[in-house]
Amino acid sequence: MNTSLFRDPLTLATAIVVLIAFLIPLFVGSNLYYLTVLVLMLIFIIYASAWNFLTFSGQGSLGHAAFFGLGAYGASLMAARLGLPSILTLLFGGIFAAVIGVLIGLTCVRLREWFLAMVTFGFAVIIQTLVVSQLAPVTGGWDGFPVPKLVPSGIQGSLMIEYYIILIITIATIILFRWLLKSRIGLALAAIRENEIEARAAGINPVPFKLFAFGVSAFFAGIAGSLEIAHFGYVTPEIFGIDLSFWPIIYSITGGLGTLAGPVIGTIVVTLLWDGLNAMGLTYARFIIIGVLLVLIIIFLPKGLVSLPAEIRKRMKRKDT
Amino acid sequence: MDVSISILSQVAFWGLYSGCIYILLATGLNLIFGVMKIVNFAHGEFLMLGTYITFFLFVITGFNPYVLLIGSVPVLIVAGVIVERLCFRPILGTGKLNEIFISLGLIYIFQNMVALIWTDEWRSMKSPFSDITIALGPVQLPLDYLIIIVVTAVILVLLHFFLKRTPIGKAIRATSQNRKGAMLMGINVEKINMLTFGIGAGLAGAAGTLWAVSGQVFNPYMGSIPAIKGFAIIILGGLGSIPGAIVGGLAIGMVENFTAFTLGGSWKDAVSFILLIIILVVKPTGLFGEDEE
Amino acid sequence: MKRENIFSVFLAACLVLLVLSTGCTDQQPPAAQSGEVKIGVIASMTGAASTTGKDIWQSAELAADEINAKGGIKINSLGKSVPIRLIQGDDESTREGGMKAVSKLITQDNVDLLVGGYSSAVVSAHQSIVAENKVPYIISGASSSSVSHRNDLDTSYMFFHRPNTDDSGEASVLFIEEVVRPAVNAKFGFAAERPFRVAVIYQDSPFGKGQLDAVKNVIKARSLPIEVVAEEPFKMGESDFRTVLTSVKAKNPDMIYSVTFLNELVPLTQQARRDVNFNTLIMAIENNDDPDYYKGVGTYGEGMVMESRFSPYAVPKGSTEVATTQFLSNFDKKYGGFAGMMGAATYESIYIAKEAIEKAGTVEKAKVKDALSNLAMPQMMEIMKGGTIQFSPDFRESKFDLYVVQLSMDQASGEPRPEIIWPENLEARAFVVPDWYTPGTS
Repeated sequence: MNTSLFRDPLTLATAIVVLIAFLIPLFVGSNLYYLTVLVLMLIFIIYASAWNFLTFSGQGSLGHAAFFGLGAYGASLMAARLGLPSILTLLFGGIFAAVIGVLIGLTCVRLREWFLAMVTFGFAVIIQTLVVSQLAPVTGGWDGFPVPKLVPSGIQGSLMIEYYIILIITIATIILFRWLLKSRIGLALAAIRENEIEARAAGINPVPFKLFAFGVSAFFAGIAGSLEIAHFGYVTPEIFGIDLSFWPIIYSITGGLGTLAGPVIGTIVVTLLWDGLNAMGLTYARFIIIGVLLVLIIIFLPKGLVSLPAEIRKRMKRKDT
Repeated sequence: MDVSISILSQVAFWGLYSGCIYILLATGLNLIFGVMKIVNFAHGEFLMLGTYITFFLFVITGFNPYVLLIGSVPVLIVAGVIVERLCFRPILGTGKLNEIFISLGLIYIFQNMVALIWTDEWRSMKSPFSDITIALGPVQLPLDYLIIIVVTAVILVLLHFFLKRTPIGKAIRATSQNRKGAMLMGINVEKINMLTFGIGAGLAGAAGTLWAVSGQVFNPYMGSIPAIKGFAIIILGGLGSIPGAIVGGLAIGMVENFTAFTLGGSWKDAVSFILLIIILVVKPTGLFGEDEE
Repeated sequence: MKRENIFSVFLAACLVLLVLSTGCTDQQPPAAQSGEVKIGVIASMTGAASTTGKDIWQSAELAADEINAKGGIKINSLGKSVPIRLIQGDDESTREGGMKAVSKLITQDNVDLLVGGYSSAVVSAHQSIVAENKVPYIISGASSSSVSHRNDLDTSYMFFHRPNTDDSGEASVLFIEEVVRPAVNAKFGFAAERPFRVAVIYQDSPFGKGQLDAVKNVIKARSLPIEVVAEEPFKMGESDFRTVLTSVKAKNPDMIYSVTFLNELVPLTQQARRDVNFNTLIMAIENNDDPDYYKGVGTYGEGMVMESRFSPYAVPKGSTEVATTQFLSNFDKKYGGFAGMMGAATYESIYIAKEAIEKAGTVEKAKVKDALSNLAMPQMMEIMKGGTIQFSPDFRESKFDLYVVQLSMDQASGEPRPEIIWPENLEARAFVVPDWYTPGTS
């Protein structure tokens, strides 16, 4: 049983990645910088995976920062006002984002792709405006407010504990996504994605499934948002920024749209590339390189980096014959 | 607070003026959408490029900035053609959202290229007419804004004749109405794609020149929000309909300014989206859009 | 075939970059062994705030070069002087970028001290990491009091060398009360107790909101006869103020108090005077006193007033004059152009760091922190309360003496130029109500 499990290269690769993720802090644990990069990387893996889950239902979003931020504000308000520990309020942040997500989804499910893109983008702008104007008495407006950290900073090695907590949440998220996609819901989503009219003909009502995808995606984006704020210890409305809507898209596309491993690989590769280029002192050129990478991947490798091995094998074969 | 007619007419005039930029953007987006059925989210970067090219030409030649339209529009047409050929043609007909994603890449590339060349400081330039105002009833109207409104109208009229009277214009309209039919009629649709994209970019370039001339400040990141509003406008006005884009552009210009007047300036961006969402909830295909596909 | 080649070349290039970049991030030994004092400069080299970021970095470099040219920082525990080495941390104008930059400076580069920080939001996100690692941090930005007055974490290592929003709001209100209100009353024959009508147009951001609140608080706390008749926010980066101005004009204010960035103040002023025909006094806030403002605003700036702490053209007479002109000319020689107010504050921060380390006689962080807390050094370029730079015991903020300038046209340059009109001990001339000014009606 065990041996057969590890004969599958994909499972083996996954096992190795997970093992490395658990062992890394033992080597770099004393280095605050590496740990910070890793923690942010994990948070963005959750966020990108959540965004990517929406594409499984054939939908897309240009404004996921709305959910990232709503989760963060939901959790932070609970933690800061009621004095609950951040680890408990995470869940509330996710649920809050999911509820709003489903409501937004209600307006979106009937829309074509580019309309959907616009509406989601617009919601992020509207929610940010609300948070800093009409809702300012509750949210603190532009000033934001301090939030208890995920692990109180007095504890020895708090950042490392934080890393492990977030790592476990990340793995749990991906396992859940995997299970969802294998389940009947996942099959229905695939059917809707491939051809909505045929799916309808087969007796699948797309609306609840699309809403479900919206809710789940918003939930995990919200969890990621609350984790980021619990890591920073301070929440401000910048969390609804356009760049935060774009990063999960860039990560997912680079890694491979519509695959489980895509957002994970994409986040790791792009973050490393980004921080590496930063360390080399490149400023604007860094953005240009990421932009060119994105364009090239969409044109030449539409299934992302995950499809690279298969693609190379295919090309090698073609050369041989 | 007394809201008099003169104040309202003044706000309406600011709306009309800011509508001009939106109309040029939306018309370009609409032409492109009509022919290629794609949406270029990086369209605002053409606007930004237009302002910088105008600025650059102004600094080296010192010509009247309105004359520089002759420079900025052709440069942008060429840029549009190149972008279409290199980036959009390869992905035409692939994934549904690919064109949006590729635009994200283009946004990063354009913004930071410009930042590398001209840095990302805010810039502005001055029109030779900037101190002249014309009294029209109770309102003082700066001459520049009147010129801008006239120039926009002239560009739209020229575009109208180009589409209606010239063979290329007719081919663009034919492709827009029925791509397969156009192909059967022997129209090289790939060439039409390139050309349309170029014209769309050229219109954005003209908008850029007008933006710079009006004394508004600009930096490499200024294009995204106007472009996204341009996109909201074509949804309002109907995809592929140029009169719709004009009406929509004016409407957004007005609504924004009246919202800033009543609710306050921080709602200026959000209100276009609220309007958009309300319309899409009521009618998922847009105000005048019909179901194709 | 060609397509694949392009792509594989690109991938290979990325890979090489990755390998190279990991090589760049070797861990640095602490100062004691390396024979230099390492100062991390947190500046936004990319993103929205990058113009200011460059100013911060270049001014820090200028200060470090000057100090090094004179032998560096004298450290008693080592018995010798060591040079400063600056290390740049690009916060990318984002919270995530700031977090990474600061943690890299702290552990990777092992800096002895941090300087810089601009956006309040960015600083608030990395404050916790500074607090945990107890690295002295001289912050020259983050003007929002909510950042410096935090009590949920230990800010004892953070020193704020900038006026906070309350300080600058207070100075502006006092100026209006002491100078503008009496002048307008006198010129137009109004009763002395007539409430003065101020409209606040502010950037919708922590900076703008903070100023607005400060203004209102000061008026209330001192029960001044000043009335805020309009509060109009606008989006950051806005360039079209015509509608906001039209709306404000309808409320008949005597004066506009504008909380803007430079790129917003120029169109605001022009559009008020030219487009909306709104002949009222606009008072701007300290961060706008920049050569680009005078160039951009042109004749429409004539008569306008501005709060300032570091001015390119209006250098206060006295001890700070020499230092300021020298700094400006050295900066121009080295980089070409003017240094801004953030540059000046960062330049001073490097000297503050030097002073503190020399007082402490060591780079040991806890001792440097104590030295900073007890610091009292003579002011350099910016005018400080009591003429000394010292950090307040409660929230460790240095206290500035802000002044106000008024613009008048300069025929030689064709641009307006500022002169100091308040407070009395610095003024070059008295405030003048411009000819074109029309007061509001109540």
